[in-house]
Amino acid sequence: MSVYQLKDIDHYYGDKQVLSIENVTIPAASITGLVGPNGSGKSTLLKLLAFLEEATYGAILFNGQKVVPLSDKVRFKVTLLAQEPYLMRRSVFDNVAYGLKIRRDTKNLKARVGEALAQVGLDPQSFSRRKWSALSGGETQRVALAARLILKPEVLLLDEPTASVDSHSARLIKQASLKAREEWGTTLVVATHDWQWLYETCDTVLHLLHGRLFKGGLGCTVYGPWRIGQRDLLQKELEDGQVLVVPRPEEGKEMAVINPSKLKITLPGRDPLLKWNIDTLYGIVTRLFLERNGDTVQTAIKVAELVITIRLQRDKVEKLKLSPGQKVSIAYDPRDIEWF
Amino acid sequence: MDFIQEGFTQAYTLLRSLDPATYSAISSTLRASGLAMAASLLLGIPLGYLLGYFDFRFKKQIRIIVDTLLALPTVFIGLVIYALLSRNGPFGEAGLLFTIPGIAIGQTLLSLPIIIALTATAVEAADRNLHITLMSLGANSRKIAASTLWEVRLGILAAAVTATGRVLTEVGISLMVGGNIKWHTRTITTAIALETSKGEFGMGIALGLVLLLIALTVNISLAGLRRRI
Repeated sequence: MSVYQLKDIDHYYGDKQVLSIENVTIPAASITGLVGPNGSGKSTLLKLLAFLEEATYGAILFNGQKVVPLSDKVRFKVTLLAQEPYLMRRSVFDNVAYGLKIRRDTKNLKARVGEALAQVGLDPQSFSRRKWSALSGGETQRVALAARLILKPEVLLLDEPTASVDSHSARLIKQASLKAREEWGTTLVVATHDWQWLYETCDTVLHLLHGRLFKGGLGCTVYGPWRIGQRDLLQKELEDGQVLVVPRPEEGKEMAVINPSKLKITLPGRDPLLKWNIDTLYGIVTRLFLERNGDTVQTAIKVAELVITIRLQRDKVEKLKLSPGQKVSIAYDPRDIEWF
Repeated sequence: MDFIQEGFTQAYTLLRSLDPATYSAISSTLRASGLAMAASLLLGIPLGYLLGYFDFRFKKQIRIIVDTLLALPTVFIGLVIYALLSRNGPFGEAGLLFTIPGIAIGQTLLSLPIIIALTATAVEAADRNLHITLMSLGANSRKIAASTLWEVRLGILAAAVTATGRVLTEVGISLMVGGNIKWHTRTITTAIALETSKGEFGMGIALGLVLLLIALTVNISLAGLRRRI
């Protein structure tokens, strides 16, 4: 059962198109990660999923039904924690209890607020009566999350919830969010740059680039300046002198994206016989991360100023004896590099 | 310069001796400005919210008009209200000319643009994440409006303080619409104007000090309210 179905979404702010998503389905009780550079449309997509805005074109079905902002069908079911959460100029207690008061669901309010605060690692005794202004950044984020968890939402949308908090707060926010899924079957959609969120907990990762979904894993984005090279291709000289070769872009596109699923990783010196159309880059493995399924490993390779993240089979990693610091060669076909 | 000192002494004596004429003027002042403030807050806060919160056609033009009305001269308002309420005017039959409610209508016109403009500014200046937060916690349009206004309550209080000061101290409307009738529509400001025209500067200063005392009391009360909310 899918909680969301996105159908041919095109969203504009004025004349500027900010999102273009064909078809995406988000299953109930799943965890979906959203990644992408700043301005890629993550926050806009979350606002559409929260029904705070209506897509300019296309439809978002919620539990199979078309709904509009402020509709009773979603108002009490979906909640969004914005990147910079806003606490109302009231006490912590009143902030956390606000949503329940709106729902006229005030039975055992004190106990429930205490429970929600405890869930995000805040002591109800000392925090309930505190003013909004007497909280640190991490505490503010956690109070804002408690205000949403107390609602036991069907969908919890989190916009970079751990981006500006310390590691302790980040861990508590993560735990509390995951508990919501475990206890109430809450569907989570999380915009984050946090590897652990993405690969340890997410069922699906959507990569947004310039408002479009990138198919092929976590694409590595490359910006100019470019120069004209051989074979009518463009070249970018990386900081360490290596040259990345890319095809010519379509009109109006300025960001090249390396599709990691099209790359071949080998150890230097054991490169296969390269074909005429294959180029090679050399890099160093910086991070290996075993995914939830236990079969694949997200491998981050630093190539000069670029970080390319490739999903490798676990046995391949073992065969190559990859470890952080290991030098590797990356073979690629420039024609596989896409423009956004 | 003796009349200044005399004014302080007289002010003390007037209040201490419970001078009936002075207390009548205080009462008229408070009744007229109280009515005017109640009406302008009731009308001005929702209108200010609409102007500050929503984007609509001609919003900028309406904003310019409201801001222009902030500089409306009290004698002009007095003149317009006089014309409307006088026997030959469209509302002459209401019998509001030379009454406290008549003064209050004029003072409402004076304070309404202040409440609307400053409420709209406070709403516009509210954090952009407030709207997202309220909506994502399940608030409907009515709750969003109520909660947004509560969030900007200090800005609205500042608007109320500014408007109260303007209403309490205006003289043009009270004089023209009220007619400065002793025991009836004579307010403190019209009494000051009368005493000054009679050459009774000491009495004028005394009444001015009484007015200042009232303004001080109102502002201390509002400051207390500000701390509590």
